[in-house]
Amino acid sequence: MKSLSFFIILFSFLGWNIVSSKDILAEKNYIEEEVTDGGNIVGSVKYMGDLAMLKLDLYGGWELTDTSKNASEKLIASRINNGLKYAVISITNIAKGKKRLIPKTHPIIDQQRSNFIPHVIAILAGTTIDILNGDEELHTVHTRTIKNQPFNLGTTYRQRISRKFDYPEIIKLSCDIHKHAYAWIVILDNPYFDITDRNGYFEICDIPAGTYKLNVWHEELGNIEKEVTVYPKKITNVGFVYSQN
Amino acid sequence: MKPKVLLDKVGLWSATVVASTALILGVAPMTAKAINVPTAVTEDGKNTYKKYCSPCHGEEGKGDGPLARSMLPKPRDFTRGAYKFRTTPSGSLPTDEDIFRTISYGVPNSTMIPWDILTEQQRASIIPVLKSFSEAFEVRKPEPPVNVGLEIRPSEKSLAEGKKIYEEKLECWKCHGVEGRGDGPSAAEQEDDFGFPIKPFDFTTGKFKGGNSDRDVYLRFTTGLNGTPMPSFAKELTDEQRWCLTHYVMSLIKPEETCK
Ligand code: HEC
Ligand code: HEC
Repeated sequence: MKSLSFFIILFSFLGWNIVSSKDILAEKNYIEEEVTDGGNIVGSVKYMGDLAMLKLDLYGGWELTDTSKNASEKLIASRINNGLKYAVISITNIAKGKKRLIPKTHPIIDQQRSNFIPHVIAILAGTTIDILNGDEELHTVHTRTIKNQPFNLGTTYRQRISRKFDYPEIIKLSCDIHKHAYAWIVILDNPYFDITDRNGYFEICDIPAGTYKLNVWHEELGNIEKEVTVYPKKITNVGFVYSQN
Repeated sequence: MKPKVLLDKVGLWSATVVASTALILGVAPMTAKAINVPTAVTEDGKNTYKKYCSPCHGEEGKGDGPLARSMLPKPRDFTRGAYKFRTTPSGSLPTDEDIFRTISYGVPNSTMIPWDILTEQQRASIIPVLKSFSEAFEVRKPEPPVNVGLEIRPSEKSLAEGKKIYEEKLECWKCHGVEGRGDGPSAAEQEDDFGFPIKPFDFTTGKFKGGNSDRDVYLRFTTGLNGTPMPSFAKELTDEQRWCLTHYVMSLIKPEETCK
């Protein structure tokens, strides 16, 4: 009897370890509930590198310039406040919270002047994205995933391709005819995420009170993680900084 | 059991079934439909793989066997579940019949020979082994094969229509070149999903990797070649246009030049 309870304790301990180390993938365990007195996390992501090295902000104007053909959107930071665009912020270890609302209107990635717009998109697992070709020439959209079914499709002017993404994953979308062009689809398993705007700001709302791991992902600069405590009906401010190296 | 006893037991009806199965087997020896693919990995399959396939494809199917080192194209890395030659849509896993077909016919212009020295049963027994290398087969199922429209007869008109698709609508020439020599403006920079350089197919050689029939060619650009830059053009064409394009692609074959 003694040895049995010992084993039970041992196993529950091991089990806990396995779960906690895999919490990033714990989509099956997420429980939806009404969040009435949740708090918010608001903050910014900054890049303190050499701004002189940065490429154009392609969205300076509504109309894209011709240089966009070759300008890279790899690293875009505001010259005014060093705010970093296209960083994805997410809570990685949340077990329960607000409903996972899959948008009925499909988010769009458009291929225009041989670039993918937007360059980074963050979605909830189960979301369908429409991929458009707005150019009067052939493009391809090519992904290389294993769990989400990959695809590689040739598309002509005005073609619209709808694809559903079921598993959390970071997917690179590229065109084999315009090698400089690519985009990222970041798929998350819970609804607590946001993507920074052109001034590096983000906001995540209706989080049940508690302490969470907040992760930032950026394609060039990698990941940063912070622990953040959320209080009922309060706003918690968080700042992330990527230094030069 | 002696044949006679068997006949008595199961009756004439099943004897006809056996006979007609034998007939089908005789007519179409290469279709895997008549072949019995085990549902799980068997000892026989494992041993056959180890003996005949692992020197190139590697013990764990990563395409890194001892013979693979200086080889191009590389032996397939099975861990991604990316198969080039399929009847299923872009990105989908292949059917068992697709895999069986590739093993039986091999891949021309590569070191992958037709494995007809193995019995059909041995070839079939390897299929579950290949699938076990990739988690893709655990989370996904192959989609149903794409529809191959009723073939139209090649004519001057269908060739002209095919040429237009090749040169203007779908711009195949960007990779395959205007004359189909695999030397289009985007050809040099292509690489496969594993990071190795890959050449757009040179149609003039006529030695299609996925088979030489009209139907094979039709299927290749309809389904795409998974794991390569060759995309699927599933949504872009009607069935009839597909046949026009197929006939045009076949007309680019220049066997006399490749003999030299
Ligand atoms: C001498 C090396 C070699 C051996 C031995 C070999 N293969 Fe291959 N195999 C290759 C190469 C190279 C390719 C890739 C050809 C290409 O992509 O052009 C390939 C590709 C394949 C494919 C991919 C088909 C697709 O649709 O993408 C399958 C399936 C396959 N081999 C099965 C086998 C099996 C089963 C055996 C053992 C009976 C085997 N191979 C033995 C070299 C080998
Ligand atoms: C982005 C470049 C690209 C474009 C555009 C492209 N192809 Fe390909 N295609 C390739 C590559 C690369 C291969 C070779 C893959 C291999 O060897 O495994 C290929 C292979 C093929 C094959 C298979 C040949 C075989 O060995 O069985 C056919 C058929 C084909 N292409 C037809 C077309 C047609 C028709 C079009 C236009 C509708 C087209 N391709 C457009 C890159 C391209």
